[in-house]
Amino acid sequence: MNPGQQPLVEFHDVTVAYGRRPVLWNIDLAIAEPCLFGVIGPNGAGKSTLLKAALGLVPVVGGFVRFCGRPRRQVQGRVGYVPQRETVDWDFPVNVMDVVLMGTYGRLGWLRWPGRRERAVAAECLERVGLADLADRQIGRLSGGQQQRVFLARALAQEADIYLLDEPMAGVDVRSQEQIFGVLAALRDAGRLVIVVHHDLRTAAEWFDQVALIDRRLVAAGPTAEVLTADNIQKTYAGGIELLEQLGQAVAERGRTE
Amino acid sequence: MSSDALALHGWSMLTAATVSASCALVGTLLVVRRMSLLGDAIAHAVLPGIVVGVLAGGRLGGPLVLAGAVVAALMTVGLTRGLRAAVGLAEDAGSGVVFTTLFAAGVVTVSLFASRIDLDPECVLFGILELAAFDLVSVGGVEVPRALLTATAVLVIVAGGLAATWQLQISTAFDQEAAAAAGIPVAVVTTGLLSLTAVATVAGFEAVGAVLVVAMLVVPAATAELLVHRMHQVALVAVAVAVAAAGLGWLAAWRWNTSAAGMIAVVLGGFYATAVVLAPADGLLARLVAKLALDWRVAREDWLARIWRAGEQAGAAGASVVRPRPRTGLERAAAVWLRLTGRVERSAGRVRLSKDGAREAELVVRSHRLWETWLGRHADLPADHLHPPAEWVEHHLGAAMRERIEAELTAGEADPHGREIPPEAGRPDGPPPVV
Repeated sequence: MNPGQQPLVEFHDVTVAYGRRPVLWNIDLAIAEPCLFGVIGPNGAGKSTLLKAALGLVPVVGGFVRFCGRPRRQVQGRVGYVPQRETVDWDFPVNVMDVVLMGTYGRLGWLRWPGRRERAVAAECLERVGLADLADRQIGRLSGGQQQRVFLARALAQEADIYLLDEPMAGVDVRSQEQIFGVLAALRDAGRLVIVVHHDLRTAAEWFDQVALIDRRLVAAGPTAEVLTADNIQKTYAGGIELLEQLGQAVAERGRTE
Repeated sequence: MSSDALALHGWSMLTAATVSASCALVGTLLVVRRMSLLGDAIAHAVLPGIVVGVLAGGRLGGPLVLAGAVVAALMTVGLTRGLRAAVGLAEDAGSGVVFTTLFAAGVVTVSLFASRIDLDPECVLFGILELAAFDLVSVGGVEVPRALLTATAVLVIVAGGLAATWQLQISTAFDQEAAAAAGIPVAVVTTGLLSLTAVATVAGFEAVGAVLVVAMLVVPAATAELLVHRMHQVALVAVAVAVAAAGLGWLAAWRWNTSAAGMIAVVLGGFYATAVVLAPADGLLARLVAKLALDWRVAREDWLARIWRAGEQAGAAGASVVRPRPRTGLERAAAVWLRLTGRVERSAGRVRLSKDGAREAELVVRSHRLWETWLGRHADLPADHLHPPAEWVEHHLGAAMRERIEAELTAGEADPHGREIPPEAGRPDGPPPVV
């Protein structure tokens, strides 16, 4: 997937706005090597928005995102996404296996139903997240940690090269956290890039090879030990962004009055 | 009744069932996507599309009319979204503005061109199911209602369209963003669903009118969702419900000489109400039974544990004690039941536990005291806060959780009140000797 020496993911001067109000400003970030990459920042810093911008789920108003030098459309399906758990209706009439199989549909396409190969892949992914015995369970009857692992298994079933995960450790029991982290580390060891939005600084230092500190703009990015300094953390969490906030407000207001 | 009249009813009933099946199929996806009201909007908004199709030379149920309906349906959704983007009008209000306007425009046009259109406002609102069997065409020598041909074509389009995209449909319905990330063209999938809804609606519209077609879209799927819990099962049960309601509704309308469309919708409502009450897992009856079963078990366990504790206070857990006073009617009934089943022996105002009764009581007391101990360790609570939660937890703490808690304790540890925690396996020599 990577001809030449293009970065696996490159954000080039990316600005994202909801409506007219910018929420992420001029992000420049390139990740060259497979690793476990943490996106860290306070609530409302735009971490989830960064992932959605990469996936084309929110419109980018300035700059661009490239995967191995190519726009997202050309790598369709090579990027796996694990959204926040609260974004779906867990009373939806499907069981665990049904959800994991959904990971294979993008490649399967029109007019085809999942066959033996897809089922085998899905079963293996469930095994990897430790849920093999819950394949037939209604998704509404899972614990939070189990739901999160089902989401992870669905992304694994996509057999992607790059994985984007939005807060996979939020509201999850310690055992599920360890299991999820184990799966992500194994992906990294198998040469995949894994980008994880995360809010807990303490575990971030432990888990990630590289991190980016974000608070509506990129504060710092690079190897975890170099980036997570007291100074950078102060800059990320102690504000200094009121100006950006005010400017965003002003941009939105002007759109209304002019 | 002549065989002609019978054939007439048979054709109409078959038409109603075919239309209902199409609506139930698309309705399944609309309901799980929380888009039922959009179905309502589309069911109304297709009218101007139908009218334009007819004026352009198409006939009811023909390809021109179907195309007009699809365009009108997509316009409804497009305009609703456009209104939100342009002036921030909420989607429900936006759709209320758009579909009523389109529908009204359709009604006005129908009246204006009444002489040129084979439609009148009456049949727009209430359908022409009763008349279906009088407009016959010959297919291979058999006289078949035109409406049935339309309905069959629509069913083939809807079922075929959904079968071809089923996986993509449910994946998009469950989690649109993840589906998009996985490479599924969610906009195309959604547009496809809306188009199929418009097509199904045209058939339903003709048969039962704009108002009741909504019942055909929503009620079968809503009923099925109460009964089964996987998408393909929901779709199949919804179709079964829809077909059954069409048949029964038609027969009832015939029997009482009333509106067939109305009767079908009433039967659908009846099916839904029945499912609400009788659904195996989530129905009101099942929940009531489950609650009563729990209350009954709690009453039995409480009664056994009270006797056990009274015995413990008197010196030995198996001792005969003065019969406690039941606190509730259910506990009184539990006391009688436990005596009849030999767990409690009673004589002269005193009671004692049999071997079986003592065994069950011990597990309850054990759960209670394990929980008090665990809570005392893990939550910084004063001793008098430990008992109330344990009174409730004692009925829910299974063997697995008891084992986990016990693993944290030191052997022979007492509960926070200094009382012995009965062992899981019971005492080796059974309950303590009777004093």
